[in-house]
Amino acid sequence: MNTTRTRSARRAAAIAAGGLAAVLALAGCAGSGSGGATSATADYKLTANTPPPSGDIDSFSWVSYSEPFSLDYAYAFDYSDNQVLSNVCESLLRLKPDWTLEPGLADSYTHPTPTTWVYAIRDGVTFHDGTPLTAADVVASMRRHLDPAVGSSWYSVYQNVSSIQKTGDREVTVTESIPDSQFNLGMGSSAGVIESAKFLAEKGKDYGNSTGGVDCTGPFELAQWKQGEIITLKRYADYWDKSLKAKAGQVKFVFMGDANARVNALKSGDVDGGYMIPPDAIAQLQASKQGQVYFGLNTAVSSLIVSNMKGVLGDLRVRQALEMAIDRQGILNAAVQGYGEETNALTTPSVWVGASESAMKQAFTGLKTYPHDLEAAKKLVKDAGAEGKQIVYVTAPIGNEFTVISQATAAAAKAIGLKVKIQTMSPSSYTTLFSDPSARQGVDLFYTSWYLSSPDPLEMYSVLRTGQFSNYGGWSDPEFDKVVNEAIPLSDPAARSEKTAQAQKIANEQLPWLPLFQGHMTMFMGKRITGASPSVAFLYYPWAATIGKR
Amino acid sequence: MLGRLGSLLLTLFLASLLVFFSRFLVPGDPVRFLLRGRKPSPEAVAQVREQFGLDLPAWQQYVRWLGGILHGDWGRSLQYRQDVTTVIGDRLPVTLILVVMSALMIAIIGIAAGIVAAVNRGKVLDRAILILLTVLAAIPSFVGSIVLIAVFAVQLGWFPSFGSGQGFWDTVYHLVLPSLALTIVFVVLIGKVTRSSMVDQFGREHVEVAASRGLARIPLIRRHVFRNSIGPILTVSGLLVAGLLVASSIVESAFGIAGMGSLLVQSVDRLDFPVVQAIIMFVVTAFVVVNAIVDLLEPWVDPRAAAGEAAR
Repeated sequence: MNTTRTRSARRAAAIAAGGLAAVLALAGCAGSGSGGATSATADYKLTANTPPPSGDIDSFSWVSYSEPFSLDYAYAFDYSDNQVLSNVCESLLRLKPDWTLEPGLADSYTHPTPTTWVYAIRDGVTFHDGTPLTAADVVASMRRHLDPAVGSSWYSVYQNVSSIQKTGDREVTVTESIPDSQFNLGMGSSAGVIESAKFLAEKGKDYGNSTGGVDCTGPFELAQWKQGEIITLKRYADYWDKSLKAKAGQVKFVFMGDANARVNALKSGDVDGGYMIPPDAIAQLQASKQGQVYFGLNTAVSSLIVSNMKGVLGDLRVRQALEMAIDRQGILNAAVQGYGEETNALTTPSVWVGASESAMKQAFTGLKTYPHDLEAAKKLVKDAGAEGKQIVYVTAPIGNEFTVISQATAAAAKAIGLKVKIQTMSPSSYTTLFSDPSARQGVDLFYTSWYLSSPDPLEMYSVLRTGQFSNYGGWSDPEFDKVVNEAIPLSDPAARSEKTAQAQKIANEQLPWLPLFQGHMTMFMGKRITGASPSVAFLYYPWAATIGKR
Repeated sequence: MLGRLGSLLLTLFLASLLVFFSRFLVPGDPVRFLLRGRKPSPEAVAQVREQFGLDLPAWQQYVRWLGGILHGDWGRSLQYRQDVTTVIGDRLPVTLILVVMSALMIAIIGIAAGIVAAVNRGKVLDRAILILLTVLAAIPSFVGSIVLIAVFAVQLGWFPSFGSGQGFWDTVYHLVLPSLALTIVFVVLIGKVTRSSMVDQFGREHVEVAASRGLARIPLIRRHVFRNSIGPILTVSGLLVAGLLVASSIVESAFGIAGMGSLLVQSVDRLDFPVVQAIIMFVVTAFVVVNAIVDLLEPWVDPRAAAGEAAR
């Protein structure tokens, strides 16, 4: 799933589950095996969970870099939308902070044939208006993704679905045209959100906006949305899962686009917490004594997308040369203050849930590394006859890391004998690079921090198959397509991971995208509150429910 | 009167043509933006296009848009998937309060500075005021905003640095610094016009005659100098309103206020044409209406204007 995101996308080395408030000290070590050196400048540890709260709290505030466009789950596909929605609306499955799935609104599911998924709908769940959850609500909510008039952002999860039927009193069956392991894995994200069918019909086209609102089953309900300024959630008293009942009476989300304003608000205690702390502010926040910065699991990898395979970068030798010429450790230090690791893969170990040991070994330790070597890189460019040829790099004033990476890439390209033209777009136009082929016309390279929304690396590699929407450069490798297509029908995660590891290896060698580094998710909590996990699972897990009085 | 109304409507009509068709000059497909990088089903793209009427020829889209406006329907915002009237309606009050507060501050400070300068024309105080006004005008709004936040919100803690508060008085309190940021830039307009038109009046015969007759200084300035200077000040004020509406975007962004200005900037960037068109039409209308009001007020303030018109 793509994001043009920007902000601090971080990754976590696989966090071992368990342990109360387990604080795992593993600065750039365990499980990463990416062959990258650990920065000497950044001193930090990864946290699975923060200490549990001592009790309930009336209210706390949380800052986000941007307001949600909509709280309609069909369009909720970004950090800012999902971090609010995850506390209000729930999915059939629940993606936990350790990035594994557990039952959610479906208390169980079966996979009776390779193309059918049968979900047993949980009893005793009510929507915020008090009406009980039924199979009809599930069918209505899921069918919206197939409705062209809705234009769901999550359509790709549903692309193979041929029917969604109520097949029992509390049972819903999803039938697919081809065997597809990825559908069920997507049910922990917003693709699996269930909304009241009555409410959907009632609100029509205003569903999910600041007038229409939402009526879901989560631990919080939407109390107020003052557009442009604040979203207030309040505890839902009749929430079904006692273990995740909200410890706060109220959560106030405020939006500050300016990174300095955000940091000031946290530092002064005006706001109690926030995810995705600007990396250059981490040290001053740590020193402020107002609270603490935590590092957690992430699924994002920062990489450069090669968007024109017909240009200079169409030659593998030039791509390899560029990957070798880019000072990735330097970028890591300058862009995210060293809070992360270099990587040669396009996925993080955290998403390889259920993978076999041998697959992990092949997928990470068995990869080709691209050590920083200008002389070797220059030779490759020369061999390819690409000396003096131009590449067009597009960037946008989105954050410090965009600037750092564009300059580092330009410097690297020049150093190996290429010419570079840097084009700057507005942040919003930048997003069109990801959806509009005409926006990518004449563009060779652009930066992304790409996060995954399911516990499976195939989510990444399936989009790099020939002809896929997000295969921006039109890269094509028959062997790669073959292993990915063989992997997708496999329902056993271990068997699937063996194939996916082969795909990761091919991508690592062929470089359709140039992997740079993996950062960590960051979270700040002020001294009034505690309890949330710093994991990127905040996108889909009701993280705010776990926050209470410190 | 009828003629004036007619020319007002003609202005608005021409503005609507310009506002609507200029969007076809902007590169980029609103639908692609709406998809925000996600993979849609092919039918969805067509459906979204149809929902927003983007599949129609440009002139049909215009007729539909204009027809909608006449019924109070400004269309749907692409970014918020909401009626434009709701999106703007949520933000209009705060911007209006901001503009009114700044206009008052600008009027009070500007006129006061202009009077003091004119009365002391040629002296050091006059020079000092002129230089100060010019320097203030040269400070970009975003810099002014940052300085105001740093001093009055962060250092002194007198005013909030962010947001527009809840309820009328809280909103006014929140908008003091933003209004001041706008005042810094625009006070020069009123200040200089007040000064120069008053200086002009001081040199007039009737003022000299009144002075030679021994009329006290204060009534002389009030009745013979300032009263006759109001005309140009009013004219400039008309221009000021449009300027404030536009400049509010920068100040609103700096102070994290969800107003029309910040909405406009954001909507332009996100290709949310229905919102952009509605805001620009609003600003144009406000400008035209305020200037019409200024025209109506002038004869009342300065009977010579009415007399001149009658004589024509």
